[in-house]
Amino acid sequence: MASQLLLATAASQPHRLSLAAAASATGSLVAEVGYALGALPPRGEWLSEELVLATGDWPLTVADLRELEPLLLRRGLRLVRVEAPAPEALVAAASLGVVTQLQRPGDGAGAAAHEPTAPTEPQGLGLTIHQGTLRSGDHLQVEGSVLLLGDVNPGARISAAGDVRVWGRLRGVAHAGCQGNHQARIVAMQLRPLQLRIAEAVARGPEDLPPRGYAEQALLVDGAIAIEPAEPIWGLPD
Amino acid sequence: MTPHQTRNILICSGKGGVGKTTLTANLGIALARQGVRTAVLDADFGLRNLDLLLGLENRIVFTAQEVLAGSCRLEQALVKHKQEPNLALLPAGNPRMLEWLKPEDMQAIVAMLAPSFDVVLIDCPAGIEDGFKNAVSAAQEAIVITTPEVSAVRDADRVIGLLNTHGIKPIQLVLNRVRPKMMANQEMLSVNDVTDILALPLLGLVVEDEQVIVSTNRGEPLTLGGSRSPAALAYSNVARRLQGEDVPLPDPAKMGRGLRAKLSRLIKTKIF
Ligand SMILES: Nc1ncnc2c1ncn2[C@@H]1O[C@H](COP(=O)(O)OP(=O)(O)O)[C@@H](O)[C@H]1O
Ligand SMILES: [Mg+2]
Repeated sequence: MASQLLLATAASQPHRLSLAAAASATGSLVAEVGYALGALPPRGEWLSEELVLATGDWPLTVADLRELEPLLLRRGLRLVRVEAPAPEALVAAASLGVVTQLQRPGDGAGAAAHEPTAPTEPQGLGLTIHQGTLRSGDHLQVEGSVLLLGDVNPGARISAAGDVRVWGRLRGVAHAGCQGNHQARIVAMQLRPLQLRIAEAVARGPEDLPPRGYAEQALLVDGAIAIEPAEPIWGLPD
Repeated sequence: MTPHQTRNILICSGKGGVGKTTLTANLGIALARQGVRTAVLDADFGLRNLDLLLGLENRIVFTAQEVLAGSCRLEQALVKHKQEPNLALLPAGNPRMLEWLKPEDMQAIVAMLAPSFDVVLIDCPAGIEDGFKNAVSAAQEAIVITTPEVSAVRDADRVIGLLNTHGIKPIQLVLNRVRPKMMANQEMLSVNDVTDILALPLLGLVVEDEQVIVSTNRGEPLTLGGSRSPAALAYSNVARRLQGEDVPLPDPAKMGRGLRAKLSRLIKTKIF
């Protein structure tokens, strides 16, 4: 299926662009968006300046979004929301201040083409996105996986049946796989927790300073918690 | 007279003994000296000592308790400061007040103060129990004070979380009992370490200063005599920043990891 552009029918509505499956396209995401927007009638003949972008299975990076900006601006459009199934895409959009929404498989034109890939996601529970820093005494507990846009401060806790992913600094206590999932992992831009737990394994956080510039992940290796550079593995097609 | 909006500012910390009452007294005097009509309200009914610090203990006749009970007028309970008539203290009642005081009572008190004052400083009790909740309910903004110690910062962080859920805004930070030498030797949390966790705008840095203790014992806040001690200067700068004046903070290079670390952080986190 090709990319679909649904024009707004009222001024209060945004237009909606659902990208086709990445595999069916030849160019980049930016090229695909540019191509799809070619279908827009001339300026002044449509009602809204707002655009919702559903990325389907396209990977979306901060660089893509910055490239998109002038392209949309030239057409008098403003990106108001990104809908994507992959946490990376949501994080990229959120880090630029764009509103994000988790796109479930089957929601959009592109998503149907691709199977959900995150292997550690307990079926049906999905990903919870939480915005804001957890402060001392806070406890965020989630049934599926969690993506936190903020820090986990010392004295705060975050736990999930699936993965714990922190777009920020993890300095409190994190528990992934809290209902026994041994595949669950903990990822953070800065991983210096007081304590880490994965399933029933417990480890004190490392005492040395975090490496600058790359994210780290903690996972179970032979029953013990190991820390290594994070790999961007979720939600992306192989 | 033009209508004015009274600022009800909570002074809180979570942990006890970090300098809330000292800040309330000194800030109150400093604001008064700068022409701001200021009331200080002792909401620490259990461990009241704001009156002591201000040297007003022996002039108290009525308290907030009698005002609330309707057995005296507000003006009768307010104790005006001798040297700084812009400052008045509303004394706390006896500790038994803790048992019946409700958030509505605190709100009623600040509403009574509003017509005659520009700023009401509320000296909050330590902890996060009822006394804290009563005090928060009367405030719109807050100053969180902490010392550069792990336990104090942890408690401050907890309090900030609670202030956020109460919709208190803005929340600003005063870092107290800073020892530049210990910081430079990394024997103490640095200014950066603290602001990194608490993520609040810094309203002031107050160094460890024995003059604070001397003045406390005398019942004459440091800011009263126009003292030139480092802490006195810090407190009056807090007062000026609180009124929106742009007073630079002491050189952070002398206090912690330095300006360069701060700048490189900014550059790294800025996306556009
Ligand atoms: N900057 C400072 N330098 C030295 N001593 C201080 C300083 N700030 C506070 N103190 C001392 O710390 C003690 C506790 O201060 P106080 O204001 O009563 O704390 P709180 O109201 O938070 O319990 C007092 O003895 C006070 O003199
Ligand atoms: Mg006190």
